Amino acid sequence: MAQLEVRDLTMEFDSGGYIVRPLDKLTLEAEDGELIALLGPSGCGKTTLLSCLAGLLTPTSGTITFQGTDIGSLTGAAVAEHRQNTVGVVFQAFNLLASLSARKNVMVPLALAGVGRREAGRRADELLERVALSERLHHLPRQLSGGQQQRVAIARALVHDPPLVLADEPTAHLDHIQVEGILLLMRELATAGRMVVVSTHDDRITHIADRVVELVPNASTAEHEPVEICLAAGEILFEQGDRGNLVYVIEEGSVEIFRERADRGEELLTVVGAGNYFGEIGPILNLPRSASARAAEPTRLSALTVRTFRKRFPSTVREARAG
Amino acid sequence: MGDAGVFGITVSDLLFRKRQFLIAIGGAALVFAMTLLLAGLAAGFSVEINATVQSFGADAWVVANASSARVASLTPIVGSAAGRVAASPGVRHASPVIIVPQTASVAGVPPVSVNVIGLPIGGLGTNQATQGTDVRGSGEAVVDATMGLGIGKAFSVGPRTFTVVGVTSNRTLLGGQPNVYVTLGDARTTAFRGADLISAVLVTGIPTALPPGLTVRSNQAIEESSLQQMSAGISSINNSKVFMAAIAAIIVASLVYVTALERSRDFAVLKALGASSATLFGGLALQSSIVALVAALLATVLAQFMTGVFQQPVSIPSSAYLILPLVAIGIGLLASLIALRRAVSADPAQAFAG
Repeated sequence: MAQLEVRDLTMEFDSGGYIVRPLDKLTLEAEDGELIALLGPSGCGKTTLLSCLAGLLTPTSGTITFQGTDIGSLTGAAVAEHRQNTVGVVFQAFNLLASLSARKNVMVPLALAGVGRREAGRRADELLERVALSERLHHLPRQLSGGQQQRVAIARALVHDPPLVLADEPTAHLDHIQVEGILLLMRELATAGRMVVVSTHDDRITHIADRVVELVPNASTAEHEPVEICLAAGEILFEQGDRGNLVYVIEEGSVEIFRERADRGEELLTVVGAGNYFGEIGPILNLPRSASARAAEPTRLSALTVRTFRKRFPSTVREARAG
Repeated sequence: MGDAGVFGITVSDLLFRKRQFLIAIGGAALVFAMTLLLAGLAAGFSVEINATVQSFGADAWVVANASSARVASLTPIVGSAAGRVAASPGVRHASPVIIVPQTASVAGVPPVSVNVIGLPIGGLGTNQATQGTDVRGSGEAVVDATMGLGIGKAFSVGPRTFTVVGVTSNRTLLGGQPNVYVTLGDARTTAFRGADLISAVLVTGIPTALPPGLTVRSNQAIEESSLQQMSAGISSINNSKVFMAAIAAIIVASLVYVTALERSRDFAVLKALGASSATLFGGLALQSSIVALVAALLATVLAQFMTGVFQQPVSIPSSAYLILPLVAIGIGLLASLIALRRAVSADPAQAFAG
């Protein structure tokens, strides 16, 4: 069994009354000592996955097992213990406590775990030396550069020696010189006894990662002739949250475009009739479908690639229809 | 979380936001000081009555049966009653007294309300002066220092003009109204137009039988009855103390709430690092209690400089100094409850927001 196993992980949110599903049946595995890079654009579920791994969010369905423990099933004190002992988190915005010095910020996880002040201080000094900040022990966050703050955040994530370190866009607010230092540090941290999971949209990390997880697979851009599709009344063409690379033109019949509400009900957005098209926004912008499509009656459609669609309808893009 | 951890983060945050905390401490301290002064005012009524009543050196008072026993509004009795009381069994010494609130006129200043107290020369309670001499004859007066008249100064009450021969202190009634000690005859002239009336007979020893129409009241009964006369005022002052405590709570709560709003991200981060809602609430409660306690300590100092604001006697009881820190902690805890929702509702996943 792998040290980290994610099986069919699905996470749903209520967004303004509609269901958003940033993670949909995700499965992955990773081993101890690995540096795992989660790649993908904003909104693809990287941070959601990290939050689930940290025990900050409970998945809608699926399991996350780390060192044999199902993280999603933890509750109450067990979750707090998981956060205190198993996980170290490096946040995108550093999230250092503004009122505490670098040293005290690093001591916080140990203080939360009830470790004595002297021992916590000794450990913080050790970690800050490791990230080359021995000279900045008593500086407040505002007195440190972005790169220095991120290194303090990394020291804080490591101070209790967790076997799982999660880093959310750790290079997002840094210049290229600082990025290099942080990436090398991430690589160095992933050794026996510690797994490091880094979410990023910066693909430079792929060269040093042991495993790369692309949360949004690139849509196929292969060109082909329009394909004819026939649907029976009530048959679903695609569902909200699906990814797709085809735009549909109705030759005969009609299609209902509807959204799944958070209360599990449906909201009919529009009914598209013969001669009209729908589903163009998702493929053009590489986003998941924002609504579902279902035949209102026996319907015949043409499924077009984006390039063919734009040739046939040069005045696109008009209004979003179940993108 | 270890207590040291909560304490350390709390103290660091206090120091980090010291300017806004100091403003709140200053505001709350002023309100707490007012609370102490109000407690002093309420206690002052009792203290002044006690000082005046005890200064006569009597064991008991013989008053008219129908009298209210309020020291400044006793029902007059005939002057000859003093002789008959003196002859009553159990009485070692009897001395008549007249106590009547009146208006004194001093040249160049508005009329002043005073309590004219007439005593026979050499009788009980005549030894009042702390400066100058006691009253030795008609036309002389010993006045309380709050009247603002030095020795040799003149004032008049009704048709009589008096010269100050002695000054006393802490001798007031009815909320800081100065006592004026004169001879029994002068008091009779100003209060009763010369009629042979007195307010009461002061006695040493306790009479076991009295002439008809008279009754004996202990010093304590006189004090309690007199204090009852001020009950409406005391009640208002005590209600004001509650308002003051509420204002202090609002000041501290506002500060703690605003701080909690500013620290929403900190709370999310601390939760993400393993802190519980109870731990965060503990930090808030500690923070607001420290603010309220420091304000209470500052208030005890401020109150000493603010007593002069009031005309009335202010006698802050030591119990008020002991209770104030407890009230402050209570207010601190109450204030932190206002911010509790911020701590409890902090979503640790928000720490990931960029």
